[in-house]
Amino acid sequence: MSALFDDLLAVAGVKGVMFFSAAGELLFEKSGAGGMDKAAAPDWQALLVSLDGAREADLIFEIGRLYIRKAEEGVLVVTMGRIAPAAMIRLNCDVLLSELKSRKGSGPLFEDAKPKRKKGLGRFFQLP
Amino acid sequence: MIKNVLLVDDDRAMLLALQEGFARYSDSFSVLLAGDGIEALEYLKRQPVSLVVTDLKMPRVDGFELLATIMANFPDIPVIIITGYSTPEMERLARKGGAVAFVAKPFLIENLARQIVSMLRQEADGGTLHNVTSGVFLQLIEMEQKTCTIRLEEKTFGEKGVLFFVEGELCDARVGERQGEMAAYEIFAWDNVSLSIQNDCTVRQNRINKELSSLLIEGARRSDELKAQRAERHGGGRTRSGSRPEEALKGVRLKIECTLGTRCGAEDVIQDERWTGRVQRISQSGERLKLGKLALAYIDQGDSRDYLLLPADHAVVAVNPKCPRDKLLQLLGE
Repeated sequence: MSALFDDLLAVAGVKGVMFFSAAGELLFEKSGAGGMDKAAAPDWQALLVSLDGAREADLIFEIGRLYIRKAEEGVLVVTMGRIAPAAMIRLNCDVLLSELKSRKGSGPLFEDAKPKRKKGLGRFFQLP
Repeated sequence: MIKNVLLVDDDRAMLLALQEGFARYSDSFSVLLAGDGIEALEYLKRQPVSLVVTDLKMPRVDGFELLATIMANFPDIPVIIITGYSTPEMERLARKGGAVAFVAKPFLIENLARQIVSMLRQEADGGTLHNVTSGVFLQLIEMEQKTCTIRLEEKTFGEKGVLFFVEGELCDARVGERQGEMAAYEIFAWDNVSLSIQNDCTVRQNRINKELSSLLIEGARRSDELKAQRAERHGGGRTRSGSRPEEALKGVRLKIECTLGTRCGAEDVIQDERWTGRVQRISQSGERLKLGKLALAYIDQGDSRDYLLLPADHAVVAVNPKCPRDKLLQLLGE
């Protein structure tokens, strides 16, 4: 599963990636600098709560930058330096979240999740 | 003013297809998407919504529960039910519960869009007024003994509220999830509003039971008090960068317009106290995580507008989601 995050981690300026469940539990974490300080977990959760349900946030702090994406599967947090190729990082996040979605229910990140019933659009709309 | 239509369905594909289908009606309404009843109620508390289109079968809070909650707390918002499991009994229950329309799947997006536009027109069938002070106008409604629903938008901060009149008597008011007398005071404290009149009132229960004139006087008093508090809170009206708040907002607007032009998607530069608490909490979290204070943020809440937050200038820039985000961040982060 961690290989999924490698492309994102390989983008210049990206320092680490974390993935939290919708309930705020840290499911995955990988960084280029020895990993996240476990004692900081509640602070990360507090930060996610302070976003008050925002779907996407780009937060620029005095000495660092965070890109946060909320998805059905959980919340993705990318830590980076203040100067980073933001558009490239967003694109990699799109790809990663799409990959995570397609693996939902089959990987270790989603052991408890059940695959979602698929519905075709033809069930909703008539052709004009 | 563009109206928000909230679409509620647990099927993401359905929501996205509707959003795409409604894109051509973007000059009439914009859409908000919610995955179930709970998410929908969160939107209704936070955002002004003109109409709700909901599926019936959903996890957590289903369409019937959502309909009942809307009728109890947001009775002015019409609800259209869409369902793939349509039966006459279900339709009867939905209409009895207050739904204005019942649409069985499969349906034509165009037909649903037309129904929505027609419903939204009713919001202003009694006319609209721009840039007025509400007090005198509301006293006329009382004198004329009108039954109507008046929707108001405050022009500086973009707050929206609703007043319900039955035969000239102010029965109820609503701002977000706040109702009754307190909501009325909040609305009466607004100096400059645009308003639309609907010649109908779904609310019949009187939650206020007070003379309009005394409510207007109390509203004006509270407004003066609030202005004084705001001036004091800004410490004589200075931002961290040393300029007065209004100068700082003007500076931000000029910086954007001079560098990226007036059509770059920055729609409004305002001071919005609703963001203050959230900005403080994000900044505090950043400091605990050794990232320092928050300098700049771009927030997408899934609404028709995204927001750029500039804590140092106490400024909020409302932007079109299609704006050149990275250019704006780079410019304002300099």
